[in-house]
Amino acid sequence: MNFALSEDHETLRDSAAGFLDKEVNIAPLLKHGATVADSGYDQMWEKIVALGWPAMTVPEAFGGLGMDYIDLIMVIGEMGRTLAPAPLFGTLAGSWAVEAAGSEEQKQALLSAVAGGTLKLALAVASPTGDLSQAGAGVKATRVGGAYVLNGSKGFVVDAAAADKLVVVAHDEEGDRFFVVDAKDPGVAIAALDWRDITRQVCSITFDGAAATLLEAGDEKSWPWVRDRLYLVLAAESAAGIRAVLADAVDYAKQRIAFGKPIGAFQAIKHQLADIMGQGELANAAVQYAAWALSAGDPDVSKAVAMAQSYASEAYKAATYRNIQVFGAIGFTWEMKNHLYYKRARANSELLGSPREQREQVIRILEREAA
Amino acid sequence: MDFNLPSEDDPRRVEIRRWFEENPSPTLKQIAERGLAAANWPAPWGLGADPELQYIVDEEFVRAGVRTPHSINAIAVNQCGQSLLAHGTDAQRERFLPPALACDEIWCMLFSEPSGGSDVAAVRTTARREGDHYVINGQKIWNSAADYASVGVVVARTDPSVPKHKGLSQFLIDMKAPGVTVNPIYDMTGEKPEYNEVFLDNVKVPVDCLLGREGQGWQITVEQLQTERAGMTKPGAVWGYGPTARELLHGLIASGKIKDPQFRDEAARLYVEGELLRLMVYRGMSKRINGKPAGIEGNIGKMVASPHGQQLSDLAKRTQGMAGLVKDPDVLPLPDKDYGLFSDWDYSFWFGPAATLGVGTQEILKNTVAEQVLGLPREIDPTARMPFSDTNKAKAQAAA
Repeated sequence: MNFALSEDHETLRDSAAGFLDKEVNIAPLLKHGATVADSGYDQMWEKIVALGWPAMTVPEAFGGLGMDYIDLIMVIGEMGRTLAPAPLFGTLAGSWAVEAAGSEEQKQALLSAVAGGTLKLALAVASPTGDLSQAGAGVKATRVGGAYVLNGSKGFVVDAAAADKLVVVAHDEEGDRFFVVDAKDPGVAIAALDWRDITRQVCSITFDGAAATLLEAGDEKSWPWVRDRLYLVLAAESAAGIRAVLADAVDYAKQRIAFGKPIGAFQAIKHQLADIMGQGELANAAVQYAAWALSAGDPDVSKAVAMAQSYASEAYKAATYRNIQVFGAIGFTWEMKNHLYYKRARANSELLGSPREQREQVIRILEREAA
Repeated sequence: MDFNLPSEDDPRRVEIRRWFEENPSPTLKQIAERGLAAANWPAPWGLGADPELQYIVDEEFVRAGVRTPHSINAIAVNQCGQSLLAHGTDAQRERFLPPALACDEIWCMLFSEPSGGSDVAAVRTTARREGDHYVINGQKIWNSAADYASVGVVVARTDPSVPKHKGLSQFLIDMKAPGVTVNPIYDMTGEKPEYNEVFLDNVKVPVDCLLGREGQGWQITVEQLQTERAGMTKPGAVWGYGPTARELLHGLIASGKIKDPQFRDEAARLYVEGELLRLMVYRGMSKRINGKPAGIEGNIGKMVASPHGQQLSDLAKRTQGMAGLVKDPDVLPLPDKDYGLFSDWDYSFWFGPAATLGVGTQEILKNTVAEQVLGLPREIDPTARMPFSDTNKAKAQAAA
């Protein structure tokens, strides 16, 4: 038993922090009317590739770094803390889908390209209405000779417009299966959604006879396997985001003077920030435990990641709301970054289903264990 | 990073288990002599156990079905006994610790006073030096175990001419001494009184029962309270003890009440929070294994754990409907095991309001976290720097 981060983990976190503090510039987003198009979404990518981040989770056998999930959350946490606008989420999601559902040959081809920095991916699961209960909903796959074509549409695809290839869950006579589609295929139309969280690119995709390749080794466990990892990513962003907004709110409460003293001297403010501190500590513990469970192949892993995602996203919502309230009316303006965190928190708690749905997953695991 | 808890075949565990197998019904004296009463204390009192070994020892007590000395003599074993290791004399350790660890002498804490409440340092009980004795006068309140304890740990004022935190000292007193009167306090549960009030009327205490130095009382008190709060991070219904969310889920699943969608989501939320509180306990342990003090973390843990426990027993009650308003028996099934004092949902629920009052109110804890962890400005206490003897005037002015 040792809950402390290793020196290697801390070094990785600190170097990611140093890089992102220098590179991330959200100032363009703080001008009224800004959208994700103003975020410089692709500008950092080459540097991110040079740091090897897309290769972190790719197994060494496919040319990746094969790092563990504790390493991963060191980097993801810093991405979340700084709201770094860059298409890493989509590439991680797509890579895990290929790892879960691809044949050895497909993994070799696609994952080595991801690791080499020449391929960006996105993963399309949700239906156009945001339904995640059937992973294949919205898109039908039809076999044409030796290949497939896709027809239909998907919603809420993170990083689709930045991607070179799309991994799409579609349904055919065999059920829900994973397919790979070229983003430039004439049968693919990608449109950015007017997504409230302008630090992240979220799109809808229409498929009209798009040529697709089946990932040959997928089964019904593939999507839950990928989802477990994506829960960790969002939870790690959220836990780090809580620390960021708490630090902002505490700094402001020390500086802002009202009635002759810093507002942080009032218990009404103090107690709320203490509550956020407590929730932030639990969220952080949840994320580290979930990352360890994934790395160690612990049998409780699905419970651990669902706990982390449900708790961290709820706590992030509360923290970012409080961060607006502590700042007062200025915290409600577009020119402050408070709303960017608030919107990221709201998005993180819906993007893979609601916290209540993750809690339902936890309960079902407990019911199975009790039976 | 490694979240694995000590395994079943851990050699340290095997050794402890063998001792329990060879001594299936050990006396408390045998337990103390084996070093298991306070395993985390250094030899000869304990095993010098790191938190991981302490965790193993606690688990093996449960497995053997043997009550732990720290549940019988909590004040001595958990909170105050260790102060003798740090601040006591050899003679005090020899006199007090063996009977404390063997539970032959039960201890109680005599800290709070009727006039003080959360302002713990505003102690009005006085200790006046007279030759080879101190003479103690005052009134204490909220004292668990005072009705059967042999030893009382008293905070008293030895110097009223200095500010309130500076003039305090701690004493180990004989609860059977002339002048000590203990009355039970009937709390709102209506059960056997957990608390007492204690009157100290010219109680003579030999000078060698002063713990540490005169004026060191506040420092020692804070150390003891932090130790106590760290222990209250656990996910039980009251102060970390009693049934947890795991047992609540067990009951809701077994009774079918988990099917109610409202209860279901609330129970899931509490289960998640409870599991995360467990992680916080382990993390505190892990920090201490790595040689870092638990310190202020205990305050954060208790701040989250106390309302968590209240919400647990509240949900347990609500799922029982009107049947939950009948005294004692729970309708909701509870796995059969030893939960200590808070042995069922009924008592845990009706005791619940005390969880955010005892060992620092929730509001005081939040102040502590905000000030000492987040570095927000300190609450201004106009009485903190004046001689304690002048604070009554200040209070009168404040009231006017």
